[in-house]
Amino acid sequence: MPSFLAPWFLAGAAAAAVPLVLHLLRRHPEQRVRFAAVRLLKEAPVEHAAHRRLRELLLLALRVAAIVLLAVAFARPFFRSAGAAAATGTTVVALDTSYSMSSRGTLAAGRRLAREAITNAAASDRVAVVTFADTADAVVPPTTDRAAALAAIERTAPGYGATRYRAGLLAASRLVGRGPGKIVIVTDLQETGWDAGEQSLLPESTAVAIADVGVPPANVAVTSVRQSGPDIVATIRSTAAKPRDVHVRLTIDNGAAVEKAVSLPSNDSVDVTFASARGKEAAVEVDDRDGFQADNVRFVVLDQPTRGSIAIVTANGDLDRDAFFVRHALAAGGNARIVVGLSTSAVAAQSASELATHPAIVLLATRGLERHAREGLAQYVKQGGGLVLAASADIDAQVVADVLGPGVMLQLTAPAELPQGSTASRTLAATDLRHPLFRALGEGASLGLVKFPTIARLAGAGCQTLARFSTGETGVMECTAGDGRALVFGSDLNNRWNDFPQHATFVPFLQEAVRYVGRGSGAGEFLIASVPGDVPKKPGFAAVKGADGTTRRVAVNVDPRESDGTRLSADEFMSAVTHLKTAGAIEARLDAAQQEEGQRLWQYAIVAAIAALAVEGVLAARTA
Amino acid sequence: MAERARTRQFLDPAVVARLGTLELRARTIVEGFLSGLHRSPFKGFSVEFAEYRQYMPGDDLATIDWKVYARSDRYYVKKFEEETNLDCHVLIDISASMAYGSRGLSKFEYGACLAASLAYLMSRQRDAVGLTAFDDHIVTTIPASTRPGHLRNLLVALDQLPVGRQTNVSKPLHQLADSLTKRGMVIVISDLLDDPASVARGLKHFQYRGTEVLVFHVLDPDELEFPFERLTRFEDLETGEEIMAAPGVVREHYLKQINALVETYRRELGAVGIDYQLLRTSEPLEMALLAYLSTRARAF
Repeated sequence: MPSFLAPWFLAGAAAAAVPLVLHLLRRHPEQRVRFAAVRLLKEAPVEHAAHRRLRELLLLALRVAAIVLLAVAFARPFFRSAGAAAATGTTVVALDTSYSMSSRGTLAAGRRLAREAITNAAASDRVAVVTFADTADAVVPPTTDRAAALAAIERTAPGYGATRYRAGLLAASRLVGRGPGKIVIVTDLQETGWDAGEQSLLPESTAVAIADVGVPPANVAVTSVRQSGPDIVATIRSTAAKPRDVHVRLTIDNGAAVEKAVSLPSNDSVDVTFASARGKEAAVEVDDRDGFQADNVRFVVLDQPTRGSIAIVTANGDLDRDAFFVRHALAAGGNARIVVGLSTSAVAAQSASELATHPAIVLLATRGLERHAREGLAQYVKQGGGLVLAASADIDAQVVADVLGPGVMLQLTAPAELPQGSTASRTLAATDLRHPLFRALGEGASLGLVKFPTIARLAGAGCQTLARFSTGETGVMECTAGDGRALVFGSDLNNRWNDFPQHATFVPFLQEAVRYVGRGSGAGEFLIASVPGDVPKKPGFAAVKGADGTTRRVAVNVDPRESDGTRLSADEFMSAVTHLKTAGAIEARLDAAQQEEGQRLWQYAIVAAIAALAVEGVLAARTA
Repeated sequence: MAERARTRQFLDPAVVARLGTLELRARTIVEGFLSGLHRSPFKGFSVEFAEYRQYMPGDDLATIDWKVYARSDRYYVKKFEEETNLDCHVLIDISASMAYGSRGLSKFEYGACLAASLAYLMSRQRDAVGLTAFDDHIVTTIPASTRPGHLRNLLVALDQLPVGRQTNVSKPLHQLADSLTKRGMVIVISDLLDDPASVARGLKHFQYRGTEVLVFHVLDPDELEFPFERLTRFEDLETGEEIMAAPGVVREHYLKQINALVETYRRELGAVGIDYQLLRTSEPLEMALLAYLSTRARAF
């Protein structure tokens, strides 16, 4: 069966009723005469009634066919190239196995809800089971063996990953395929679960239901451990409704633990300082039997030879002149980052290993970035580096495209200013406030105070739009290249094209941007989601080989954001699902458009319609 | 009253008025039994002087024209022709094709008026007139008669004639020709939409018996002019066959065919001395009949 890109045009086929009605109303348009001398007409070029009727039916058929073919042509038919849709439905149970499901009783509730979803699936449906955290695994592909699915559910256990709904829904929708289907997502509705992950889409026809395991118990977590001079400072967070006392233990190089008793206020964090802590590797642990287990301990590698500085690349390396606001924004805040300025020519002098020490690079100019430098930056991003790029008069789009690699086709066109005399102001708005880039801004509404008179137009195949200007252009775009990622900002960051640096949102935005692109790549620490391939996805210490072949010890920790017990409501969750379905519908339409473009069946329909009209014209003229 | 009106519906007073004192005389010698207008084959004592012949021994002395003797001193006898009435048979075609009429008057009605008018004329001349209705066979026959009230019978019969079937003019002609015993006159009123050759053969059959034949070829103006413009579905009145025709395409062919038909009849019948007259139903009957009788009288 063909599909149609614009099926509403098929309604035009109803116009085929017009010649049909006319044919019925004017079935005998000719006059009828009972004539005596018909025998004298027989040898004339006349048409016997039977032939006439046949000709009329043929004319009618041609006219109807022409109209129908035109309607079909406008409806843009095509045949889907993928496999046929499944005849029966599929129910996929997506079970959340992030570490937030490890609290007491939560996993048992999750397994029960998953079993119920399998049991209650329609009798004719196949069933499947997916577990998900940072990534998703199809533990049971679609099957009619419900016992196998139930058994697999019993074997599930929470891991160390953070909740990523997109990963779970993407895996589940792949199992549903093109046939009818339902996804039952069994989860604790962690708000952080919608943080941007792998781009995912949902078919509009797939139903999604939530099985809520309920409110988790109060949780105490070690959310960060850092070295502050000779001391080690650990941040302990409690989500309990009441203050509670906990014990925090520091272990250095597997030696004796140093323990401290800490009073935690309700729903708040405290820093615990362990003075004069020396060693190579430290672990801070808190006792919390009822809450999430994986976040009770955090690891840190001490005294890293190079901690990793954020590099800001300008035309001549003069940060005070070319990156004043960016430099001070990155240096501000409690987590002071070391910021270095690099000229474009100096980038070329950096080796791959030297570039790799920067967790993130802020690229503010490309003038002077010759081929070797571009290749170095491209290699840096490909191997996991993070790039923040701000459009300006000093940025060459072709150079940026070279840096981000052939997989990203970036178009960075000339500055677009608001029309002269226009009283409207151009502002920026996030497309998804749950993205980590905007979480630090709170509700993100403060972005609306920033005015962008001048912007550059962004377009990138394979990039995700994170924010748009109020005039419709893309404002912030995230592009992936190899193992790294880049954030492209559609205006400058040096107070020339906009007044962003003058607003309070500038500092957290920039810090979050650098943090986001450079997460997991900071020297000394990896989060579970971003550990290199040969490193076990398990909190602790591991050895990682660098780009220069050297091996270093790194700490592997869980994502601290998963410790945040903030939940979504079911409506908020489904709202995000609807957004995915909308994106899925758009993607499906794009896919359909590509298939239709490849087949161009509408051309054949047009030709057939023209042929039908031509034959009709000839036949009608002969009988006129 | 109603019956009288009905019997007279085909005898139009206008026609009767027009006929006036016109006569329809037979061109041939007819065998009548009454004294009439028409020449008789029998010679004898009659009012009508025919010719002079030289006296031969044995002739009746009473027939010698003494005035001629006085003038020429020679003996001549007078010969007289005895005039008589004739039997006239009006043959009217009642096949289905005669039902066609484009202007409210069908060919049959026109023909029936003509038949009634001629019957009246013959009756006034004290000729015996009969009526035969035919389609592909003889349907009704009323023998010729001069009895009082016979005209009325003919008119009643004309009124009651049914719509016939298919045309086959020659077959009833042959049948009637075989049934005639005396020389007289046969008047055929038909649209002659049949094979001209077979019709001519049928008509000639009467001539073999010494009967004079008059043919009134009655056609509708639409049959003669084919004025149709729109695409027309023609349904044959006799066979029901339907033909779709674009008049613009077929007109020329049709007119050629109908004119050829008329011309064939005119030529074939004229060649054998059969009086042929084409009548259009749009032409007032009294004018057409008046013109014909006048022309015939002058030629007589």
